[in-house]
Amino acid sequence: MTVTAERETEVVYPDPTPPVLGGFQGLPQRPGWLSQHLGTAAIGAVLGYLLGHWLGNVVASGYTNIADSGVNAVAITGGLLLGVFGWLLGIGALNYPLAKMVGLELRPDYESTSWTRYLRYTVDHKVVGLQYVIGVLAFLFTGGLLAMGIRTELLSPSSHLFGPGTYIAIVSEHGTIMMMMATSVIVGPLGNWLVPLMIGARRTAFPRVEAFSFWIFTAGYLVILSALFYGGFPTGWTGYAPLQTQAGGGMMSYLVGFAVIGLGMMAAGFNLAVTIINYRAPGMTWSRIPIFVWSILATCALLTLATPTLVAAGFFGILDHTAQTAFFVTEHGGSSFLWENLFWFFGHPEVYIMALPGFGIVFEILPVFTRKPLFAYKVAAAGMVGVALLSFFVWQHHLFQSGINPDMRPLFMLTTELISIPTGFIYLVGLGTLYKAKIKFEVPMLFALALFFNFLIGGITGVFLSDVPVNVTVHGSFFVLAHFHYTIMGGLIFAFFGGLYYWLPKMTGKTMNKKLGQIHFWIMFIFFNLTFFPMFLIGLLGQPRRVFEYAQNLQALNDFSSVSAFILGASFLVFVANFVWSIFIKPTPAPANPWDSLGLEWQTPTPVPYYNFERIPVVLSDPYHYSEENAPAVADLGEEGVLVAAGASSPASVAEDPRPPAQ
Amino acid sequence: MSGDNAVTDTADKPQMFTETPEEREFELRAAVGAYWSGGRLLIGMFTFLFASLAFAYFYLRSNNAGQLWRPGGITAPTGIGGAIFAVAVASSLLAIYGQGRLRSGSTLDWEVSGWTAVLGGLVAIGLQIWQLTQLPFFPGSSGYASCFIGWAVMNIMLLVSGVYWLETNLALCIRLRRLDAEDGTLATSVGPVAQLFRANVESCTYFWGFMAVVGGLFWVFFYLI
Repeated sequence: MTVTAERETEVVYPDPTPPVLGGFQGLPQRPGWLSQHLGTAAIGAVLGYLLGHWLGNVVASGYTNIADSGVNAVAITGGLLLGVFGWLLGIGALNYPLAKMVGLELRPDYESTSWTRYLRYTVDHKVVGLQYVIGVLAFLFTGGLLAMGIRTELLSPSSHLFGPGTYIAIVSEHGTIMMMMATSVIVGPLGNWLVPLMIGARRTAFPRVEAFSFWIFTAGYLVILSALFYGGFPTGWTGYAPLQTQAGGGMMSYLVGFAVIGLGMMAAGFNLAVTIINYRAPGMTWSRIPIFVWSILATCALLTLATPTLVAAGFFGILDHTAQTAFFVTEHGGSSFLWENLFWFFGHPEVYIMALPGFGIVFEILPVFTRKPLFAYKVAAAGMVGVALLSFFVWQHHLFQSGINPDMRPLFMLTTELISIPTGFIYLVGLGTLYKAKIKFEVPMLFALALFFNFLIGGITGVFLSDVPVNVTVHGSFFVLAHFHYTIMGGLIFAFFGGLYYWLPKMTGKTMNKKLGQIHFWIMFIFFNLTFFPMFLIGLLGQPRRVFEYAQNLQALNDFSSVSAFILGASFLVFVANFVWSIFIKPTPAPANPWDSLGLEWQTPTPVPYYNFERIPVVLSDPYHYSEENAPAVADLGEEGVLVAAGASSPASVAEDPRPPAQ
Repeated sequence: MSGDNAVTDTADKPQMFTETPEEREFELRAAVGAYWSGGRLLIGMFTFLFASLAFAYFYLRSNNAGQLWRPGGITAPTGIGGAIFAVAVASSLLAIYGQGRLRSGSTLDWEVSGWTAVLGGLVAIGLQIWQLTQLPFFPGSSGYASCFIGWAVMNIMLLVSGVYWLETNLALCIRLRRLDAEDGTLATSVGPVAQLFRANVESCTYFWGFMAVVGGLFWVFFYLI
């Protein structure tokens, strides 16, 4: 496409979408409550579950070893799978695929201003993004409540709140919910909401795939939660065989839930990757795309290529329980180590699925609040791609003590340590940006800086753990637990909240209360460290993970950690209070560009129109030329006389801002 | 809330949406590119899915725990397995041939070969299901048996995906016949509808080629080596 200053005659459509497929009117839609929404999804899920469970009982009735086992995995699996199917059918996810079978297109998706659009299957990426915000927060708080239960139990080494089976079920559920939440916590809400805006696109490539990713994500959440009603599962979030093959009905929820959420992750990664590759606005070259988009692209590569292995592993596990195969049963020609390999081939890239978008967020925040260009942009992008590539070659370090030829250990120790090099690039970029900067300590910036502090501790202890001798010593202890909480919670969750505080004014048009935000940050930061740093000591002193009894001399440290954890948990209530107060109870309209950002996403009106940009923008520069005099303009938004200028405090200072006031 | 206006598909009258010819061209190129890269990425995803099965196959085979990889050299019914492979490959070749004809301008040839490929895919699915009822081993009797069950189910999913994709294109082609009269044929038109259609068919055909490669590889794994 050639870009010219003069625009040709506009074509005006009565519908918000171009007539892509010859003007088919599609299937009729019922209005209002008779249409498909969350309620019909729930009904579909219940009916599907009942049908699947009944079918499973019928199918397995002839197999006495299943029917008499007390745990009919066929019925449970059938119920869960058809429950998910019913959920998708009820929400309307299957309307389009079914219509396509007879060559029909659905009607174009119109803009709706009703709040009920958040309860529906919609193809507006901004609605999907906000749906994800609520979805991942539900995940996060459910996992957080379980964590409170764990820390309550660990207040005493010998006096117990739960039995051992209940305790391990809670630990397993907590870990699984949190890890599944964490894989989507940034890609889902912020990735879907922001990426099209950041690259100057009016839509995503496959909006129905995007919506599908959210609704199957919620289905997966319900499936994993259902494990508690089946008595939980005893394996922790890693689901190791042979314990997996011996476990009860809750294990089916784990296997089905992981596979279902895996499908959602693949769908989300697929859609965003294709969008970034194809829908970048004219002039949005690879060296100009925002660094957050680079981080999402690298993450999408991992989501689409590593996650199928998890889905396959879950599928094999389901077959072991239902069709009585023996993938993970050593006595019948299988191997429990097969699960470990497949799981970690996904599981370690998953760590970077979680970490990379977090870095992308802080790299968007740092230049804004230092008013400096992002230092070494290309190094940052290369670091992210490098981390993503190397992450496929390190999974065996999780098996240093099991399932690996000892002679192979040095190789995987080396590959694991190599990954600290591109990670070091990322730190270098952060430090370079902060160097000699006049930092504005706004709430998003506080969270961004905290990430560097926390992830440094998590990263360095990760280098320790990659060394075989240390790994052998502390494997399975609280040291490992502290390490990954520092990387995932200390990195990802802090970045997520930083991103929320930064972009919520754009996403909602409302301003979050700054004072409450600061209180949230400081409580969360201080008590996060007070919760998890003692766990390094607890681990080094020998306390194993997933065991509810421990040595008497570790009680003081455990109690300190538990009390800190309770306050850490309370800090999230501050966020919830802030969110509810600022968005719903006493909303304060947000300025159009409260942080004076040059990012393309901030140059749209608030609320962002259905099709994002009145004209597809022409990008002229990257958005990091803060403080540079005579820097080139960032973009031509296609409106008369409007160039988004770099180096200016606000785009509005260059030309009269044509945007409507924020609502 | 107004209940009548709550559906995203039939909601309030939308804002006026305008597009310049440049933007239409841009959107069209992006959509065509999305089919291209989406098709390849989908193949990448399936590749890792089947690579996991291949990993399981070779891991358990080399492990041979308790000499239970494949006791007695037993295999799944080779005749049925060969038939599935042959039908799947023939269908893929037909789909590829049809796409070549479409590129040459013949929509009808593509339709005939496409529907035949769909039929072949359905036959392959039927044969695969039938084979599961004819197995001479219990699913958990060996590593080979387990892998084979995994393969059979995954192959059905793969074939269903391919058949569904091709069928939707064929159904669309029937619906778009009226367009043929207005704007050349789907094979030759330079209009956006036809360009998108051809991009979709091209990616779909590429996927069918992938299906044939996967079928061939696992046929070798399960019946030859």
